[in-house]
Amino acid sequence: MIELALETRDLKVYYGNNMVIKGVNLKVPKNVVFALMGPSGCGKSTMLRAFNRLLELNSEARVEGEVRILGRNIYAPNVDPIEVRREVGMVFQYPNPFPHLTIYDNVAIGLKLNGLVRSKEELDKRVEWALKKAALWDEVKDRLDDYPSNLSGGQRQRLVIARALAMKPKILLMDEPTANIDPVGTKKIEELLFELKKKYTIILVTHSPAQAARVSDYVAFLYLGELIELGPTRKVFENPEHELTEQYVTGVLG
Amino acid sequence: MKRRQINLRHILMPFVVFVFALFVLMLAVYVYNSMPIFHREGLDIYLKNMWKAAEEPSKEHYGVLVAIWGSIYTSVIAILITLPLSLAYSVFVIDYAPKRVKEWLIILSDVMAGLPTIIYGIWGVFVLVPLLKKIVMQPLHNYLSFLPMCSYPPITGFSYLSAGVLLGIMVAPFASAIIREAYQMIPFTYREAIYSLGATRLEATKILLGYIKPAIYSGIILAFGRAIGETTAVSLVIGNTFNLSLALFAPGYTISSLIANQFGNAFIYEYMTSALFAAGLVLFAIGLVVNLAGIYLLRRWEANVRL
Ligand SMILES: Nc1ncnc2c1ncn2[C@@H]1O[C@H](COP(=O)(O)OP(=O)(O)O)[C@@H](O)[C@H]1O
Ligand SMILES: [Mg+2]
Repeated sequence: MIELALETRDLKVYYGNNMVIKGVNLKVPKNVVFALMGPSGCGKSTMLRAFNRLLELNSEARVEGEVRILGRNIYAPNVDPIEVRREVGMVFQYPNPFPHLTIYDNVAIGLKLNGLVRSKEELDKRVEWALKKAALWDEVKDRLDDYPSNLSGGQRQRLVIARALAMKPKILLMDEPTANIDPVGTKKIEELLFELKKKYTIILVTHSPAQAARVSDYVAFLYLGELIELGPTRKVFENPEHELTEQYVTGVLG
Repeated sequence: MKRRQINLRHILMPFVVFVFALFVLMLAVYVYNSMPIFHREGLDIYLKNMWKAAEEPSKEHYGVLVAIWGSIYTSVIAILITLPLSLAYSVFVIDYAPKRVKEWLIILSDVMAGLPTIIYGIWGVFVLVPLLKKIVMQPLHNYLSFLPMCSYPPITGFSYLSAGVLLGIMVAPFASAIIREAYQMIPFTYREAIYSLGATRLEATKILLGYIKPAIYSGIILAFGRAIGETTAVSLVIGNTFNLSLALFAPGYTISSLIANQFGNAFIYEYMTSALFAAGLVLFAIGLVVNLAGIYLLRRWEANVRL
């Protein structure tokens, strides 16, 4: 049996009375890039935010069912959402390093908040390590004390990836990380995914079937809050079981 | 027929010139009227604490140092009170208050901002001063009277501290309006970002307040400006005494309370009116310095941080 990084059981999400995730069951194996694709508005961002309990920032949102991370249901009553978020990193659709913190502090902040390092040297090392992992070190090593305002969109997004990686999360959630980035930056980040999946499990949201095909090992197709199809990427793209999936991957749909 | 093009700039210009001219003239009036006392006292008008009114002009001597000190001292106390008040109020209103309560809290602080200052003054005299005297000044004086700040026995309670605290309460709605607005405008993605890193609510709030530092500076500057210019309420609780002191519980003066108190009978004397104008001039100067400092801070911020 494959060990699972994440599993949902009858996951439902409501905004007020409006159900936007309608009972999804999915399994994500470890150390893969798992793409969650679907047209805009189908609930990808919402579902992703159920995986680190970030939906709780929105008082309208309500979650039912289970999300199991490495076997543990993160919605069980005794689970602290802060602990969950420490283990599940997140990268956003719009590159959002904190503009009022230096490049260094942007990477260090999660470590500092959670007391994950014991000394300044260890912090320095971990910041360097994370920036290297995010393939940004060479570009910023001489200006760690600068603010991120002079970085390009792609660099900012890699800074956010470094910020998440610095905490050594078990899972990395990425919500359309290349949606606001130029093609060169996009290519860099996609290359990065191949490197990162050796150590991490990546759940990548994308509205582009082409991107899902390029970078993922497994893919799930979400449509109007329902999971239509899930499987190894090649299989889903070459031989989809569901007509909607076929329409989507060929570009007929949305 | 071609419609005549009216250049909006030409319409707006006179208003701008008018406002500017008004300011320059006002400043000129203050400088002009201060001249007699400058000739008589020189810089001593600002460097000495002295208030000798006499019917014979040769015996008159004025130095308004105590009032300058009192204005700055009470305004700094006010800022120290206002900052935590307005930060806490803003964060509570935006992050914690349920929707309906939130609207009421905003209305409440707007009403407080608009209350006539005499209302605060009277409340200060009858409630705040006795309260501060009993629960703050007397205990502190009893136990810490070896500290210069606590050394003055709080006999009446009318003091720098009372004025500072009252001012702090009065100006908090202004600082809070600016801070609250900015705090609310923080893009949601930064909230998500900080919480996604495993921050507690307190930690997240701290980081997000860092994001709106410029608004906090602006709020403080606005509050300081209002505090240093406030007259009526301060006159009622500061004690109006020529007493230059670091002692928080001692009575004193501020520039505006000095002017308000002395102006009525100043015409009797040769130089007193001029001395009061010279005191007023300091408020112009402080206003200028504070605002320049604010601009400097914001510039420095903008040079680094582009939001
Ligand atoms: N904060 C919110 N409050 C209410 N409804 C929302 C909110 N965010 C998203 N929705 C709704 O939930 C559905 C799914 O949105 P989302 O998860 O953002 O989709 P996607 O990321 O796939 O574009 C949409 O119909 C959207 O209108
Ligand atoms: Mg989305």
